[in-house]
This record gives sequence, C-alpha cells and structure tokens, in this order.
Amino acid sequence: MKREKNWVNYYLQSTSGIVGAVLVLIMITLSLISAFGLAPHDPLEQNPMDALQGPNGTYWFGTDQFGRDIFSRSIDGMRRSLSVALLSVGLATLFGVTLGVVGGYLGRWIDNIVVRTSDVIFAFPAILLALAIVNSLGNSWIDTSVAIAIVYTPIFIRVARGPVLSVKEMDYIKSARVLGYSSPRILGRHIMPNVFAPIVVQVALSLSWAILTESGLSFLGLGTQPPDASLGLMVSEAQALAAFAWWSLAFPSIFITIVVIGLNLVGDGLRDALDPARRSTS
Amino acid sequence: MPCAAKVVHGITIFSIMKKSSLLSRLLSVTTTLFGISIFVFLVLRVIPGDTITSSLGIETGALNQEQIESLRKYYGIDQPIIGQYFSWISSFIQGDFGFSYSTGTPVLQLTKSALLVTMELALLGTVLGVFLGISVGMFSARKPGSFRDFLGQFFGLLALAIPGFVLSTTIVTVMANKFQYFPNGNEYMSPVEDLWMNLQQMLFPSLVLGIAVAAPVMRTTRSALLETIDKDFVRTAIGKGVTAKAVRLNHVLRNSLIPIVTMTGIQFGYLLGGAVIVEKIFALPGMGRQILDAINKREYATVQSSIMVFAILFVTINLITDLIYRRIDPRIK
Amino acid sequence: MKKKKNLLIGALVATLIGGSLIAHPAKAASTDLVIGSVLDIDKTDPHTATNFATVRALGLVYGSLIEIGARNAIKGGLATSWIFSKDGMQLTLNLRQGVKFHDGTAFDAEDAKASLERILDTKTGAAARANIATITSITAKGRQLILKLSVPNAPILAALEGVNMAMLSKEDIAAAKIGGSNKPNGTGPFKWESWEPTQSVKLSSFSDYYMGEPKIKNVTIRVIPNEASILSAMNAGSVQFGIVTDPLIAKQVGKNLKTYRVPSLNYYALQFNTKAAPLNDKNVRLAIQCAINRDELIQTALFGEGKVTGPITSPAYRSDSSARPCPKQDLAKAKEYLTAAGKSSGVSFKTMVTSTGWATSVAMAQNLKAQLAKANITMDLDIIEQGTYVPRWLSADFVATLANNGGRIDPDTMYTRYFTSTGNLNKVATYSSATLDTNFLKGKASGKVAVRKDAYASISKELEDNAIWIWLATPYEYRVSVKNLRNFSALANGSLLPLRSASLR
Repeated sequence: MKREKNWVNYYLQSTSGIVGAVLVLIMITLSLISAFGLAPHDPLEQNPMDALQGPNGTYWFGTDQFGRDIFSRSIDGMRRSLSVALLSVGLATLFGVTLGVVGGYLGRWIDNIVVRTSDVIFAFPAILLALAIVNSLGNSWIDTSVAIAIVYTPIFIRVARGPVLSVKEMDYIKSARVLGYSSPRILGRHIMPNVFAPIVVQVALSLSWAILTESGLSFLGLGTQPPDASLGLMVSEAQALAAFAWWSLAFPSIFITIVVIGLNLVGDGLRDALDPARRSTS
Repeated sequence: MPCAAKVVHGITIFSIMKKSSLLSRLLSVTTTLFGISIFVFLVLRVIPGDTITSSLGIETGALNQEQIESLRKYYGIDQPIIGQYFSWISSFIQGDFGFSYSTGTPVLQLTKSALLVTMELALLGTVLGVFLGISVGMFSARKPGSFRDFLGQFFGLLALAIPGFVLSTTIVTVMANKFQYFPNGNEYMSPVEDLWMNLQQMLFPSLVLGIAVAAPVMRTTRSALLETIDKDFVRTAIGKGVTAKAVRLNHVLRNSLIPIVTMTGIQFGYLLGGAVIVEKIFALPGMGRQILDAINKREYATVQSSIMVFAILFVTINLITDLIYRRIDPRIK
Repeated sequence: MKKKKNLLIGALVATLIGGSLIAHPAKAASTDLVIGSVLDIDKTDPHTATNFATVRALGLVYGSLIEIGARNAIKGGLATSWIFSKDGMQLTLNLRQGVKFHDGTAFDAEDAKASLERILDTKTGAAARANIATITSITAKGRQLILKLSVPNAPILAALEGVNMAMLSKEDIAAAKIGGSNKPNGTGPFKWESWEPTQSVKLSSFSDYYMGEPKIKNVTIRVIPNEASILSAMNAGSVQFGIVTDPLIAKQVGKNLKTYRVPSLNYYALQFNTKAAPLNDKNVRLAIQCAINRDELIQTALFGEGKVTGPITSPAYRSDSSARPCPKQDLAKAKEYLTAAGKSSGVSFKTMVTSTGWATSVAMAQNLKAQLAKANITMDLDIIEQGTYVPRWLSADFVATLANNGGRIDPDTMYTRYFTSTGNLNKVATYSSATLDTNFLKGKASGKVAVRKDAYASISKELEDNAIWIWLATPYEYRVSVKNLRNFSALANGSLLPLRSASLR
C-alpha cells in the first residue's frame, strides 16, 4: 500500500511524466470521441465536391482526395492505433512475462527453449516478420495486433527473465525454498513484485513502438486496409498529394508524433518513479 | 551486481549476463541461426501463391497439369518440404545461396551488391546517429534541468517519435519540389564508381536512419554522463584540480562509453533490418528491397538466403558488441 | 570554447547539406535517354512476358511481324505485306529483307516459323498462345511465311503484333537460349546491354536496324519505386522520360516538361463470379450496375483523367456505353432490382482488390464502396498483394474483384479467352453462352470492320444487359518527357517503339 502511494506521488512530481500523461490523455479522449461516433464527420463519408480542401471552418484539418474529413479520419486512426497498440502489447506482456518468469525460475531446458525461441524471433527483421504473418493470417486489426505481439514478446521475456534470475539467487528466496513453500507462492509473493517495475516501464515504451510499427505496416500496405482510417495509411496516401495538399501529410504525422512522445514521457516518468535509485538524480 | 540484466531501453542484449565461454556462445548462436532458418523457411511456405503463379501471373491458367509439374521441377518446388529445406540449407552452408530465376542470377551475386548498399547505409546512419546523439547528449547533460537541457531532450523525443517514413516522405517532397534536388533519381553509384554521387544519394536516407539512432544514443549518453559525474572518482579528480574539460573527456565520457557502445551495437543491428522503408522511398538497391521484391515474386531461395545473411550479421554484431563491452568494462570477465 | 565547438558542428552540418545542394547532377549527353519506371522487368523471355514493364523494355529489343501504328492502325513490322486466301483459312506473309538480329545473323522465314512454333508449344507457357491457337500449320517458303488456320480468322493479323509475338532466332530457340540469364537477341532498334535487377535495364542503339540506327544511342530504363520520385528526378534533370500511371502525378507535371496523354486500352471493371451468391442473381448484379456513378468514380479515383467505358475498348469497335442498363446512376432503379431479387433490405459481398502497383485500384474500390453504400449494398474490400491475388484470381476464388485488365487493339484477342466456352480464362470470367460463341465466330470470320462491328455490338450488349461484369472506366496513359525530345509519339498500347525515330535536340 505504502509503496504504491509512494510511486504515484513521485510520478506526479515529475514534469515530463505529467506532460506525457496529458498528451496521452488528450489522444485517448479524441479516440473516445471517435469511438462514440461524436466526430464532426463520418470518417468514411465521401464528399467528392469538397475534395482536397485546405483546413477551414467545416473541415478543420482539410479534406483528402475523396473529400473525407482529415480531422475525423485522424482521430479515428488514433483510435485504431491505440487499440492495436493495447491489444498487441497486452498479448506480448501476457505471454512474454509468463514465459520469462517461468523460464527464468525453472531454468534448465525449459529456460533454454524459451531463450532460444526468443533469440530466433529477435534476430528476424521485424517488418519482414510482420509481413509474413500478416500475409498468412490476414489483415484485420486483430491479425495486425497478433503480428506485432509476436515481434515484441521476446522483449518482455527478456525484461521479465532478468530480474527473476537475479532475485532467484537471493538468500530470502533460497530460504523460502528450503522452508518448502510452493513454487507458485514464491513466484507470486516474492518474485513478481520485483518484476513489476521494469514491466510497467516496458509496457509504456512498447505501446509507443507498437504505434510506430502499426503505422509503418499500414504505410507499406500491410496493416489497416482502406477505406478504414489509419495514421500510417493516411501518410502513405498523402505521398502523392503532399506537394500541393500539405495538410494531408502534416496532420496524421503530427498525431503519430504526439502520441509517441506522450507515451515515451509517461515511460520516463514511470521509470523515475518506480526506480528508487533514480529518484535522487532527477 | 555485475551479472544483473543490463536493460537499455528495455532490450537486453544477447545473453549478456552469461559468463559463458566464447565457444559455448558460438554454439548457442549456431542453434539460434538454425532455428531462424527453419522459421523463415516455414513462414514463406505459409504465404499463398508460389513461384509459378507469381512469374506467369494470370497466364498460369493456360497451363495443364503436366506443364505445371515440369515448371515445379524447374523451380525446385516439386520435392517434399523437408527435402527442399535440406537441399537449401546444405548448399547455403557451402556458400551456394541458390538461384534467382526471374533475374537469371545466382543469389550470392545479388546479395553481394545489395549487402554493400545496406551496410554502407547502416554504417553512415550509425555514424551520423552516434555523432548527433553524443553531441546532443553532452549538450544536454552539461546543466541538467536548464533550458538547453530541455532543448536537447526535446530533440531526443522528436527523433524518437517521428517515424522514418514520415521524415523520408517529407524530405523527398520538399527537396524535390522546392529545390529540384533529388540525387536518388540518378543511377545508384557505389562509392568506388562515383564517391561524390554516392554520398549525395546516401545523405538523406542515412540522415533519416541516423536521427532514429540518435534518439536512444542521446538519452543513453545523457543519463550515463549524469550518473558518472556523481561518482567518487570524478569528484576526486575535480578535487585534485584536474580541469573540467579534462574530467569530462577523460573520466566521464570514457566511463559512459560502455552503455553508449552497447546501444550503438544494438542500433546498428536494427538498422540493417529497419532500412526496408527508407530503401524503398529513396530507391536504394539494398537488402530490404531485395527481400521485399523476392517475397512478392515468391523467389524462395532469395528470401531465405538474404534473411539468413541478415540474421548472421545481426548475431555477429551482437557478439562483437558483447566482446567490446567485456573489454571496456573490467568488471565483466 | 563551448561556442567554438557548436560552431564547428554547425559548419560541418552546413557543408554536408549545402555542398550536396550545389552539386547538381551532370547533364546527360544528348544521345542518352534515361527512362524512369516504377516497375522493374521480371524476366527476359518475350513470349511469356505479362508484366507491363517487361513488355515495354523488350518491345524495344524485339521485333514482331505486325506493328500497331498511330491511330491504332495495323501496319507492317517484319512482314511487309500479307494476303488472306479467299476462304480466309490461309494467311501468307511476305517478310522484310535485310533484317538482322543483334548477333549479326540474318532474319528469315525459318526464324519466324520457329518463333511461332515456340509460342504454340504449350510447354512454353506463352502469354498469347490462345490468340494464334487457330494456326494448324506453318510453312516457310523463301521469303514467305504461310499460316494455315482451322477456322476463318481475320483478327489473327492483329494478334501477330507485340512482344508476346516476338521473332527470335531459330538458333537461340534450338539451343534453348531464351530468358533466364541469356542476353535477349532480337531484331529491334535497341540492343540489350545489361539488366541490374531492381535498378536498371541498359540498351544501346543497333547500328544494323532496318530503319537505320536510332539517333538515341543509349537508353537506360531506371527503376524508381514511386512515381512522385520519377517526377522529382525529371525536375532535377537526371531522368528524361517518365512512365506515369497515376493521374495525380501527371497533373503535377510542370511547364518545364512535356506530357503525352493517350486513352489507354486497359479498363477497370468490377468482375463478378456469377456462380457465387449473391451475385449469381442477375437482379443483384443489375442493382449494382444502376447504383454506380462512373463520373464520380473518374473524378475521385482518376482525378478526372479517364473515360467511361463499356466492355470493348478497341478503338474501332468501342462499345456504346450509353446503351447499357442505367447509363447514369439511378438509385430508384437499383432499389427496384434489389426488390426483384428479394433483397430489399440490402445485400453484401466481398471484393478482392490488389494493392500492388496500382494506387488507383484501391482508390477506385474505396469510392465504389461509398457509392454502393447509398443503395444499401455493402461492398467489403479484401485488399491483398499481387502474389496472393493472382492464384486466387486464377481459380476464381472470389465473389467479385476490381480488375484493371489489359485491352487489345482487336476485340477478338481481348475477349475470346474470357467469354467463349473454350476460352482459357472462361472459368475466371464465369459466363459463356451459345450466342456469345456464335458471335465470336462471326467476328473472327471477316476482316471488314463494318461486318465485324455488329457481332461485337451484340457481344457487348449481352454482357452488359446481364451485368456479367460491370465495366467502369478506361484511364489515360502518360508519358512525360523533357522538352527537347523530338519525333516521339505515344501509342495507346503503351509501346515505346517510337523512340526508334526520336532524338534529343
């Protein structure tokens, strides 16, 4: 209890943490507006008469070649990016942490298999891995999320496994073993709390990478498919338009940048707040 | 706790906490590489379509069963999967990377030129990135909490957050349309053929990659500097009257090198694989484009062998990074 | 001290950027032409080439018996004149004299015979085999080539045109030295120098070309993976000729360059699988036909750069697109058809679209989806890359697909393979009928446009009245060149052959 109150307090003391949280909250709010259908326009609605208008009172961020509202599409793209990021990082955390903790704790051949497998995935160029997975799975947002989750699982395995390996050798764990406590109990009571902090930080950072990966995949035509809105896809579509319709490139790009900055700042804030050694320096 | 996992931006580099011998490291690396070879082989077969349909397109419909069989034989996809795997991997080990049917060239020959492009790109990107990253990191760490620190950190964040494809698209649009400058429209020149043109063609793509590298290097540099500056030996040096500049260069920077080198190694490995989009936008004939292209044509040998080359490089770079790391940090031996 | 270092860094960065800005690429010599193309060639065997880039590049290297000239007229290539027998069952071609292959050997009737036999051999997998499948025997007699046909077949003349009908040397054929790593050896105006995959194809002028050596000495076809970059390179002066398909890019061409715009023979169509629900119901198909506003489609997806089209795009036989059911969007009529189909509450189906190479296909699919939604028709998009698309297309593993199909000068070669009951792509087209078969035979039998016109008008009508597919629009083809390119004209079939007489001032 005390510990939790502590880190929340520390988090609120860090400026970057607060700025990050505000940026992320703004983006979440915009996504929710889109999710509840409260966007100023339907993101899919085409008004060919209004095609390629610059930012104005009706279309705040301008329109694209079909006369779709870029603002509504950007916030809908944000909603999709965040959903993919949440699902993929959720999956990666679940599997990565489980495998990492179990592998690290049990050691021997189980650990060996876990480490080897994660090395294999790790050394595989991420975009190409995702390309292959999306090609064979399909390209709904769930497929994309699964592909990204597979790419990021090894990172969570490593992050979780490290602390387990070092904590495992500590005297109090050894004595708990000698006392005959069950493995689940030792894992839950003594080991997991040590893994918690790095995982939380990792989640925040991975969310930002997942957003970048999703938009990169969509840019290559492998993620979200038209006519659905996705920030990466909007940038890709804007490539040919950018020379005379700058808004089509600028706004989706800014959205990606803001949310990634926000999540990184949150990650920094969390790292500082959760790591006692860092509190003194920042 | 020297054997604790060294987490740099969440990525622990290859088995760094293991104090194992070089030999056993090599052994485990080999297993990993075999795992990758099986993985890439299987993943490729799961993608629909094959070499015949992608080479003949809709005309495949005009073929009868017998012709399809003879084509399958020609492309070497008539054997059972396991046979195909072993015939590929055994020749790969002997240095025969297979044959690219559409280009009529051995894959080894294709890979040689493409790999040089990607290596140069990754190398320039890393150099630019490290240069930018360390400069901005030092600039920032001089006075923590000051406005200049804020500026430096803001640069770091932007570099981290702006996707490479956004930066590339913007650069191409602005340079070509406003300045009529687009060296990549010229034929690609290797440094041997035309160094000046080569550097022009490499400048923007490696800058885009460099900025991506600069972000983590900058952050690592900054925090390493701040950490070291508090250490006792630095205080002692300052107490002894060594000048501030000498302290910064000799003691602080030197001791901050470990995480920076580690970071750089990791980033270089990533650049090799991450150059796909940049190579595409800037029309560079590198490995990323070769692989994407070969996937589209279902040229199995080309994809498999190129990815293996990537993986071997990645693993080797990690190994070297690890060795350098051990060398710089006397505690790990 | 601090300032000094910052200055140094600043200076370094400035030199890097500034220095490279000054260094504009050297202007190419005026006999060198660099062509920018998004697509790389994918093979060097002309008979099996289907990729547009391959066809374009090999078209400069190989010659064919017949050529298509300005205004799509048939004219002699390696054949100078020809005559059909009275019953239309035999075609005699007189071959040009003094034609040489790039390797120095002379071209003769034996070469022509061996080339056509190679195309007819099913093992070759030749792309246009079906178009000349009515040939039963080939005889080489002096300077003459005599083709015996199984049915009266006038359009076979037009079918002898193009890269897929390239004339190869009989020695090369006998030694199986075609395609793969073999250097193409043709009779065309340009010799093959080299192919650097994903980078460039290099050609040089052929001094013994029968029309005289081209004035352009070196042609490089450079792969630049996106069209915006091609335009940038042209503005920067490093590329002199650009192949552009994206109308958006064509619109951005400045006054410093020249744009050639030709109506393409290719067409966009919503291709149906008439055997799969819900499109097996004619009324559903007609409802879709009536719900579409083709002008809006052209406006949004092609930026106004295209024309409404019916099935036949061949200029002499062009379908009358105002004769189709609902030539203009008619939502009330669409509703009636849906009710007639018992689907008044709406209908939904999936459409397969390829994402590779054609940004406009995806744009068009998006606009179609939005239009159909207004008529209570839900069209889901299944966007996949070319490698996955082709096998599914071949096995008719789709309910509908938005296709960008190649057109031909002659409607016979364009549609026989799709819509006759024995056509090799009939299972993809999913429709044939006795009347169609008869009409195609009728169209084959005569060489006279006036006579053939009726047959193709009936074919067009049958296809559209039943809404077998929905024909949408035909785009323009663009060639962009530097101002000083002289004597070049763009052809509707996309061929770059006019470069043989062009020059750079």
